Amino acid sequence: MSAVGRLLRGQSEIDFVPWWKRGLILSGILIVLSVVALFTRGLNLGIEFSGGISWEVKAPGVTVEQTREALAPFGLEFAKIQIVGSDTLRVQASTEAQDEQDAVRATLAELGNTTPEEVNVSSVGPSWGSEITAAAVRALVLFLLAVFGWLALRLEWKMAAGAIAAVVHDVIVSVGVYAAFQFEVTPPTVIAFLTILGFSIYDTVVVFDKVQENQGRTGLASRMTYTDMTSLSMNQVLLRSINTSVTSLLPVLCILVVGSGILGAVTLQEFAIALAIGLLAGTYSSIFVATPIVVWLKEREPRNRQLRVRLEATAHRAGSTAPGAAGDAAGTEANGDGAGTEASGSGTGSRLSAARRRAGPVGCDPATAAQEGQEALTRALR
Amino acid sequence: MKRNAWRPIIVLVVIVATMLGLTWRQEWKPLLGLDLQGGLSVVLTPTEETSQENLEVAINIIRSRIDAIGVAEPEITLQGQNILVQIPGVRDADQALELVGTTAEVRFRAVLQTLPPEAETTDGTTPGTTPDGTAGTTVPGDPTATTGDPTSEPSAVDPSATTTPTDAIEPTPSVDEQGMAAVEGESAAGMQDTPSTVTETVPPTTAAGPVAPSTTLDPALQQQLLEQQIASQAGQPGAGTNLPTTPPNEDTDEAQTVVLPQYDKPPGEPDRQVEVRYQLGPVLLTGEALQGASATINQSGEWAVNVRFKDGADGIDLFNAAAAQCKPPSATCPTGQLAITLDGAVISAPQIQPEQAAFTPVQADQITIRGNFDEASARQLALVLNYGALPVALEVQQVQSVSATLGQDALDAALISAAVALVLVTLFMVAFYRLLGLLAMAKLGLEMAILWAVISYLGSSQGLALTLAGITGIIVSIGVSVDSNIVYYEHLKEDIRNGRTRRSAVDKAFGSSFSTILKADGTSIIGAVLLWALSVGPVRGFAFFMGLFTVLDLIASYFFMRSTVAIAVRSKLCDRHPGWFGLPANDDERAVGRDARRRGTSPAMAGVGADAPSATADDDGAVL
Repeated sequence: MSAVGRLLRGQSEIDFVPWWKRGLILSGILIVLSVVALFTRGLNLGIEFSGGISWEVKAPGVTVEQTREALAPFGLEFAKIQIVGSDTLRVQASTEAQDEQDAVRATLAELGNTTPEEVNVSSVGPSWGSEITAAAVRALVLFLLAVFGWLALRLEWKMAAGAIAAVVHDVIVSVGVYAAFQFEVTPPTVIAFLTILGFSIYDTVVVFDKVQENQGRTGLASRMTYTDMTSLSMNQVLLRSINTSVTSLLPVLCILVVGSGILGAVTLQEFAIALAIGLLAGTYSSIFVATPIVVWLKEREPRNRQLRVRLEATAHRAGSTAPGAAGDAAGTEANGDGAGTEASGSGTGSRLSAARRRAGPVGCDPATAAQEGQEALTRALR
Repeated sequence: MKRNAWRPIIVLVVIVATMLGLTWRQEWKPLLGLDLQGGLSVVLTPTEETSQENLEVAINIIRSRIDAIGVAEPEITLQGQNILVQIPGVRDADQALELVGTTAEVRFRAVLQTLPPEAETTDGTTPGTTPDGTAGTTVPGDPTATTGDPTSEPSAVDPSATTTPTDAIEPTPSVDEQGMAAVEGESAAGMQDTPSTVTETVPPTTAAGPVAPSTTLDPALQQQLLEQQIASQAGQPGAGTNLPTTPPNEDTDEAQTVVLPQYDKPPGEPDRQVEVRYQLGPVLLTGEALQGASATINQSGEWAVNVRFKDGADGIDLFNAAAAQCKPPSATCPTGQLAITLDGAVISAPQIQPEQAAFTPVQADQITIRGNFDEASARQLALVLNYGALPVALEVQQVQSVSATLGQDALDAALISAAVALVLVTLFMVAFYRLLGLLAMAKLGLEMAILWAVISYLGSSQGLALTLAGITGIIVSIGVSVDSNIVYYEHLKEDIRNGRTRRSAVDKAFGSSFSTILKADGTSIIGAVLLWALSVGPVRGFAFFMGLFTVLDLIASYFFMRSTVAIAVRSKLCDRHPGWFGLPANDDERAVGRDARRRGTSPAMAGVGADAPSATADDDGAVL
């Protein structure tokens, strides 16, 4: 049975547990890097947030240097000049340039070989920009609180905490990426982020729902530690998770490649970059941030701790004499490790399959599973 | 049972068809935002926080100014304390900005004379004047009248009195409703909605004589008035009785004389007609002297406006000084009327104390303006006076002028991306889920149809614009819709693999997957609502469309997806070829297939072999 085949059937046997450790470490590094980038390079804020004036015109073939020369008489040669989209020229200056606004407009129109009406001009008062920023931050905080409440209601608070942690991670890392690569932050960026937060949570919810469903199956839940059960759940929904991410990413990629790349629409590009970064971060964090945090929180619950102890004891006693359900050729159980220790490099899949086999066929009648389990135990104890 | 399954689908399709039909019949079309059609967008905020009513007045002022320059359909919305003005298609941003940003002030000026609604024509006669010796008196509100009303001669002897004073200002306690003698039949007939009245006119006064020189009037103006008097005493409509209206930029605090119109409707309403014009003297006091005003109704059911001035030298004293000039009428206020103007139009021009012979100074809070008010006009005047007390000074926060070409390019790019995205997603879904994938796209089509109808309706009747942000939100929502399907389908496949029959799996899987969909869509909706409530401008539009689409998705998933998939899976076609639906064969079928293959018999048996292409029994028939 090929790996892809197993994946398609929801029977993949990826052991997520070691990956979680690595994922959390990687996330930690990413967060640190992001904070560093934010404080050293700072964000490249568009004028809607920092205030100022911006002119935009379609000017194929015009270079930044040419523009700089043309604007020198206005003292704007140090203004921010970029080529955005594929051939759109954008000049940004502070509000001091207000008086020369029209003259600059005329000059840029000449450069672009068009009329002044075809030059987009945008001017934003400085306090307005900071108000917008404050409003955006407020929206973000409220969103996080509201979603936490909603998820705590429908799932449980520990899962809600994991989901929110993933979202916060996404925001920090995305901000870091924007700071590191100095992409411009504009209102479309903010809109895109707030959308992504919704998506990131979607992904996470899919996994958590499955975990909760498996938790409800007592036959299953009592045979494996919470950690293993979560890892199992993830395998079961992996295809679902990948597919939803693909269908979310496809439209965004279209906007990025077709809309802004081929057709050069600037606003679309701003949207698309933010959406793409956010989606990737969101998918990553659902698997590698949200879930391990929940697992960590849940394993501390007394019930789960007792379960773990009991299972380890059972496995130890079962040792190499247990046929059928508990036996595993890889011998992880013979070592007495049971489900407690982290499997190292080799045998990553085997521990999970052992757990799976212990649990019996997934989703089948819990009564039968329990019965089989009982038999295995009694056999072991004989 | 089959009938039950079809019902939600039929109902939904009928609803959608109706919506689309209505949209087509009513010719509703989406309204494109400025960033797609080009134009000017300005955000203004008041420099100090002010009341909602004042902001409404400010908005009406802006609207009437923009109407005056002939721009089609400005869209002005109020979001909290922010005024967002969107003027599509405007070319001259500077002019529009000036119009929009300057503060309008309430001013009190003395009325020098009444003029007909239209300025003098080239042949020197004024339309509406009657060469009948009712010297210099024109009939207000009666622009096409060629015969004067001989019964009216209210103040024929008094050349500079107006014919029909519109309102009267009196001290409040005077309960003199009967003072409103119906002298002017013509005035009642001529004026439609102005608070025109029937008040007592000023009895002929001694001001009929030569105008005494006054130090408060501009000498040139005095000369002009003198000429007019002479001319009118001679019984002819004098040259210069009909002056051109003062353009808005000349209507300043310093202007010594202006000619302003009085409209039949309040500012901001469409199709206003000029009823009468007045020539006015210098500014005697401004709205800053006002404390406030309110519309009141007395026991007889008549509406009036109570006005309060501030105490002291800045308030009531100024008013009394102004009123004293008008009562008895003096050279500076020959008509005895004091006009209240706002933004280039006369809102009201009441007579000062018409019943009395001489002026009595009034107390700050004892002023009533009476006239032919109804509730609406009384409230309108009170609103204007309240605004005048605290005029809203607006500060331009953000200006965006978008060229039409860049807007069109953006729209094209968005639409093309959307089309490509649709194609790719369809391919993906069909690859993984075959016919069920097609059903997913059908659901998406349904949602898009409803969305189109809603956007068109909102655009045409509510003025809700579709911006680039909104379109992007919709493109992204393609993913949202399809995700709901994926969650359901995968759950379905899993249940079948675990041994459930297809028929029972369809229902069971829906229950649990809808719960997931609800949680996830619920999160999106929360996000959309928050974004909408806390933001301004395009972000709001995006939030609205995303939220709308997510709600549509919930509805379509619950009614459409469940029913269509149920019908499809229970069909005979699916029994025979589950692989065509992207579904795995269940255990029995698999067993039969395996046996058949082992025995080497034709895999066409029971049709199961059709979805077991390889010996490794890859059951769910997905394309690898």
